[in-house]
Amino acid sequence: MRLRSLLWLFLGAIAGWRVLWAQKPFKAYVGAEYENFVLPPDWQKPAEWTRARLIYPSFFSVHGIRDGYHRWTIDYPRSDRHLLQGIRRLTRIDTRSVEQVVDLDGEDDVYNWPSLYAVEVGYWNLTDQQATQLREFLLRGGFLMVDDFHGTIEWNNFVAGINKVFPDREIVDLDNKDPIFHVIYDLDDRFQVPGMQYVFTRSLFEYDGFQAKWRGIYDDKGRLMVVICHNMDLGDAWENSDDPRYPEKFASLAYRIAVNYWAYDLTH
Amino acid sequence: MFELLFKYPQAVFSRGTFVLLGNWPLWVLALAILAAAGGLGLLVWKRASSGRMAGVRSVAVWLLQTLLASVLLLMLWHPALSVATLRPQQNIVAVVVDDSASMAQPDEAGGVTRRAAAVNVLNSGLLNALKDKFQVRLYKLGDHLDRFDKLDQLTSSIPATHIGDGLKQVIADAASLPIGAVVLASDGADNSGGVDLETISEIRRQRIPIHTIGFGQEHAAKDVEISDVQVPARALPDSRLSAIVSFHQNGYAGDKAKLTVKEGGKILAQQMVTLKKDGQEQTETLLFNAGTAGVKSVETSIEPLVGEESTKNNLVTRLVNVDARKPRILYLEGEPRWEFKFLRRAVEEDRTIDLVSILRTTQNKIYRQGIANPDELKDGFPTKVEELFAFDGIIIGSVDAPYLTPGQQTLLKDFVDRRGGGLLFLGGKDALSDGGWKQSADVELLPTILPDRKNTFVRVGATVELTAPGRDSLITRLEEDPAKNVERWLKLPYVMNFQDAGQPKPGAVVLVDAKPTTGGRVPLLITQNFGRGRTAIFATGGSWRWQMLQPLADKSHEMFYQQLLRWLVSDTPRKVTTSTPKPLISDDSHVSLRAEVRDRTYLPASDAKAEAHILGPDGIAESIEMRPDPIESGVYTADWTTPKPGSYLVEVTASRGTEELGRDTMTFRREDGVAENFRIQQDRELLEKLSSETGGRYYTPQDAQKLGKDISYSEAGITVRETRDLWDMPIIFLVLLSLRAGEWLLRRKWGVI
Repeated sequence: MRLRSLLWLFLGAIAGWRVLWAQKPFKAYVGAEYENFVLPPDWQKPAEWTRARLIYPSFFSVHGIRDGYHRWTIDYPRSDRHLLQGIRRLTRIDTRSVEQVVDLDGEDDVYNWPSLYAVEVGYWNLTDQQATQLREFLLRGGFLMVDDFHGTIEWNNFVAGINKVFPDREIVDLDNKDPIFHVIYDLDDRFQVPGMQYVFTRSLFEYDGFQAKWRGIYDDKGRLMVVICHNMDLGDAWENSDDPRYPEKFASLAYRIAVNYWAYDLTH
Repeated sequence: MFELLFKYPQAVFSRGTFVLLGNWPLWVLALAILAAAGGLGLLVWKRASSGRMAGVRSVAVWLLQTLLASVLLLMLWHPALSVATLRPQQNIVAVVVDDSASMAQPDEAGGVTRRAAAVNVLNSGLLNALKDKFQVRLYKLGDHLDRFDKLDQLTSSIPATHIGDGLKQVIADAASLPIGAVVLASDGADNSGGVDLETISEIRRQRIPIHTIGFGQEHAAKDVEISDVQVPARALPDSRLSAIVSFHQNGYAGDKAKLTVKEGGKILAQQMVTLKKDGQEQTETLLFNAGTAGVKSVETSIEPLVGEESTKNNLVTRLVNVDARKPRILYLEGEPRWEFKFLRRAVEEDRTIDLVSILRTTQNKIYRQGIANPDELKDGFPTKVEELFAFDGIIIGSVDAPYLTPGQQTLLKDFVDRRGGGLLFLGGKDALSDGGWKQSADVELLPTILPDRKNTFVRVGATVELTAPGRDSLITRLEEDPAKNVERWLKLPYVMNFQDAGQPKPGAVVLVDAKPTTGGRVPLLITQNFGRGRTAIFATGGSWRWQMLQPLADKSHEMFYQQLLRWLVSDTPRKVTTSTPKPLISDDSHVSLRAEVRDRTYLPASDAKAEAHILGPDGIAESIEMRPDPIESGVYTADWTTPKPGSYLVEVTASRGTEELGRDTMTFRREDGVAENFRIQQDRELLEKLSSETGGRYYTPQDAQKLGKDISYSEAGITVRETRDLWDMPIIFLVLLSLRAGEWLLRRKWGVI
């Protein structure tokens, strides 16, 4: 009888451990642009949803300049916090006020956060193991939005990485009729959303990324798994949406795109 | 022995009434007994003073003497039995001999058949004894009763035994003939489900005793027999079905047997079972896939074992109508969330269910998916009965009750109660108590008593565990093997939220419990039937982790939701629902059809025209008009005689004027000569019950000759009332002698002689 009680205690402890440790708690990281960013007052309040930001290893140099940034932290966390506020205000998504940073480290944590965002993927350098885990993540039902990469060189580097994930899936231009542009807002008329450089240079593009490309990768049932925002910088638009110098029309479209994309994720 | 002591056969005592024939009144007897007791008491008390007879000894002597005096006094009042007896040569005794195929079973002593044993019993003096006193009518019994003249005309070839129907015919004859008693020689192996109460009541009313003589072994030495197989009569394509197989065996306890479910020669399920004790009923469940739409003839069998006496009772066939319809489920969700996404994805894999959803994306916008046309549900949740009742099931997600108007809430209740639809509530921050459903018109639909408080939805991790009913439920069956299924549920990833749905109501069934890391246990999946429909609560919004945190090949999440939603809608009736009480007719040609017809709002349509179109084997095609039931509104019935054995398809169409209300199909099957292979042992219980209920007696072939004497005592037919003296029964003298001898022995022991 005593032995049985001990066995049950042991099994209970394992179950408890499994629950407590399979999902990592929120953690703030030091970003390339922000250190000690103030946490919102309700950062500890749990919610139904939050958007995760993907940690990935990046090349030191893509354009011949070695800068040594952790590219995954670009715009982090100010961009994330602004975006989540926007989603909370504009939709009925019950979102946390802070993002979740996740890693493709072979552990299960990433699967707890099916809505994933990666920035500056023109620099990413996924290992084979990370690519495999990202493929598993997406095929199980995860969703990845990539943004803020520009021109041919960064595109080629992104494609090299995503080909490791899906060697046999085609990247396609999204049709205006695709539900992703109509879930909440009708977004037939989209335009290029520039980064903060626009405020200083009035240039809409970076490198040779003259035209915004709305692309994606579908699964076998016609659902978008990966949405690709090339030659635009939605992350900057969310980040600087409270900066009076940054034009409202760009920030507004960036929010509407995000609202539609994440609503699409939660409905398909 | 009985007759030696009591002078008369047992039947005289069981059928007679006690009377005192003496002229003196009864009170004088009582007074005399009291006086004797008093006088003897006085005498014994006086002698007790001598010493050795004091105390208990004097009481014992007084008792014995008083009893002796009482018996003697009683004899002076001339006790007797008044009993009705059949007048000799003026009554008819019906001798009914079972002539069905089971009587050819050679399991009587010496390896003779039951028929031969019956003939032998009748020819060994019983028939002549009956003929001496009565006119004897011989009947042979099968699926009906026939008269015959000579015992050698029996063939044991009739493929069915309907004892009840046969006895009804005897009762009908008794209306015009002085039938005083019935002798039934049978193995009791009835194929029509026994003798109904109505027939027994009628026999009792006419006071005809039925004496039964049982033939055949009561237990086979080596045999396995399937008693019953239960499969659903209707199913959705590709749904998981259960065949509940009941069987028993003799002579193979502890052996292994192979159970198989087949359809069209293809094995659907197979399972090895260990046979239980001899004669013990055993039940096993086999799961199989219903397959594509169409009528399926499902064969369930036990592989014959070595040395089995009969293998014909190892196979049972049932019909399953796999419906081609695609039920539609409306899912109303109050917030975009992962549970919504992954539920939709799980059901997308199921091609037999159509999921339509309304999602509140913003405060004032909805997003519709799965709609049949751009206008469908454009104004949100239906407000009209026809629009809502077009669905077979409804899911309410994280939606607060006030989002629905009082009218819509009432409609939801009618959807379950009147329409017969399925309603599933999911857990969520705006669901159940937190969403104000406790105060809604739909609170009574819920399978639990919702808590009176808010904040019942908590974001705390919890593992899940099947309850005892959950282990048997098809909703929660992720593995064929029950033990592995329990294990698989224990290994499912945690849910990170759950809701306290409150106490399950009486009649509700909890299938899954959540075990929070904070301790305790709360019901997670609860189901119940309500009105014509059914409701359930799945009190979490976090089952999506069963998909995301398990390998891609794992289908637990998809299977769970598909099975839950199929349960939700598979029994949702259409406007016309056809049924028959017996989808399998054994050795009978009569079939009763029933159709329940509802109008567009699912109210009973009592003014409809219902027609049944029947297709049968060898091109049989017939249409019959169904009659409105005088008691149940909207119910139409018809009786039909099947011309030959085989499978039949019935389509019932119902219309009102030029408007067609709906149509439904069902199947039934007539089997001849199959039922007689089952229940081949003597059903002594049935024969004994039949005798005792009618005032007769059960006899074995060995003591059947006594029947010749017993049968005279009957109140049916032409009778005369006779009295039988009791004072000269040997048992009386024995009692008197015993009382006197007892006293003498006691006195001798005490030394007071």
